[in-house]
Amino acid sequence: MIELKHLSVRYPRTVQDALSDVSVSFQKGEFVCILGKSGAGKSTFIRCLNRLQKPTSGEVFLDGLPIMDKNEFEIRQVRREMGMIFQHFNLIPRMSVLQNVLTGTFGYRHSLRNLVGLFTAKELESAKQVIDDVGLSEMLHRRVENLSGGQKQRVGIARALVQQPRILLGDEPVASLDPGTANHIFTLLKDLHDRLGLLTVINVHDINLAKRYASRIIALKEGHLIFDGIPENFTENEFHETYESKPKSVLFH
Amino acid sequence: MVWFKRRNLITFILLTFFVYISMRLTEFDLTKFKDFRNMIDFLSQWFPMDYSKLPAMLQDTLETLAMAFLGSILGLLIALPFSFAAARNTAPSKLLFHSTRIGLSLVRSIPEIVFGLILLTTLGLGPFPAVLAIMFHNVGVLGKLVSELIEAADRGPQEAMKAVGAKNWIAYLFSVLPQIWPNVLSHYFYRFEVAIRTSLILGFIGGGGIGQRLFNDFKTFQYSSVSLDVFIIMLMVIAVDFFGSYVRNRVI
Repeated sequence: MIELKHLSVRYPRTVQDALSDVSVSFQKGEFVCILGKSGAGKSTFIRCLNRLQKPTSGEVFLDGLPIMDKNEFEIRQVRREMGMIFQHFNLIPRMSVLQNVLTGTFGYRHSLRNLVGLFTAKELESAKQVIDDVGLSEMLHRRVENLSGGQKQRVGIARALVQQPRILLGDEPVASLDPGTANHIFTLLKDLHDRLGLLTVINVHDINLAKRYASRIIALKEGHLIFDGIPENFTENEFHETYESKPKSVLFH
Repeated sequence: MVWFKRRNLITFILLTFFVYISMRLTEFDLTKFKDFRNMIDFLSQWFPMDYSKLPAMLQDTLETLAMAFLGSILGLLIALPFSFAAARNTAPSKLLFHSTRIGLSLVRSIPEIVFGLILLTTLGLGPFPAVLAIMFHNVGVLGKLVSELIEAADRGPQEAMKAVGAKNWIAYLFSVLPQIWPNVLSHYFYRFEVAIRTSLILGFIGGGGIGQRLFNDFKTFQYSSVSLDVFIIMLMVIAVDFFGSYVRNRVI
């Protein structure tokens, strides 16, 4: 479904690749968790998939077609098929739950219709449906800044779902949540994943969550892919390999 | 002397020096107040206030408020699109960013009174040129202030809006404007207040409103009317200040 070939990213004014020659491919139905320390390149990896980050070299193929050289219009078509959720939720403040979720349809609609907020009955219906799916139908018109962290992430998930995505990306979606809430969010993500037959790719800090929910684990270390396999094979050894710190790993100079 | 370093001492000496120089240049001299009786004499002519022209004064006050409001709100509306072009993170191109920045500071560097004097020559006396003068200056000021708010806005929502596949300008508009809106209003109300004071000055050059009435009453020695003019102006400024903080509190 999506394939990365020799993907490298180097940020300006740094001496080391944030992502170094990573090749991997994902299929529909996989629930992939990406593990790694802070600064290992997890975030960069996820953001390359919908080209929020442009790789320095390498290529990303979606359904066998390269997306690196696509123009802005084509990139927007790629992005609208991929829902994305974020560590800090990235909701639009001062707007209601329903309004936030409706912004998820923006990729499919004419900009002028977005500007004035003209939505069809069908769009409104599907927005309310996904809000119901994430369990927030009571809070349709509540402003998002008055919600709890877990509820905010549910709004984020609803916004991604209303895009009717084939792929769901998560950049540390539970890193700012308490363990219980994090578990609830992952259960929800897994349910939706199974029901909608998505490809889900999520960065996560918590190895227990990854082992419990993932169908496949990928580990990154200093931009290199060091593990790719089923959760059962990610054992103590791999854990140490992924998280042990080298004393002198200097990223910036 | 734990609190003070040598640099503090040097700063202090330099400041004292500049204060002294500035006093010389501005002929600052408190001993001149020995003639303060003149001022008391003068101010005593201000009272009692003369209420006979109150209705006309109130009408002029309304005109001043209208000038300030129209000038600043038009300034804000025109400034908003420019400020997105003048913000580093939302500018469509480097060229547009720099040219908008330069354009805004050029407009800002021209005082309202100069705009007013220039416009008077084609538009004649009256509030219309004053409104335009206030508007032009406020495009420059608000454009800069709002562009700084845009640059300081949280990047997260902007990224999220791009990730759903929205066009860039829609993504920026929706992710930035709700974030900065209370601060935009805050800036706007401050500029509205400033515009009231400016429209008084513009009244002195024939821009109409309570400013022009104050100037005329002053020049015709009708001090008992001047005092009422000043009193009304004070009330107006205080009222606008209260209204501004009321609206800000309602929005936040």
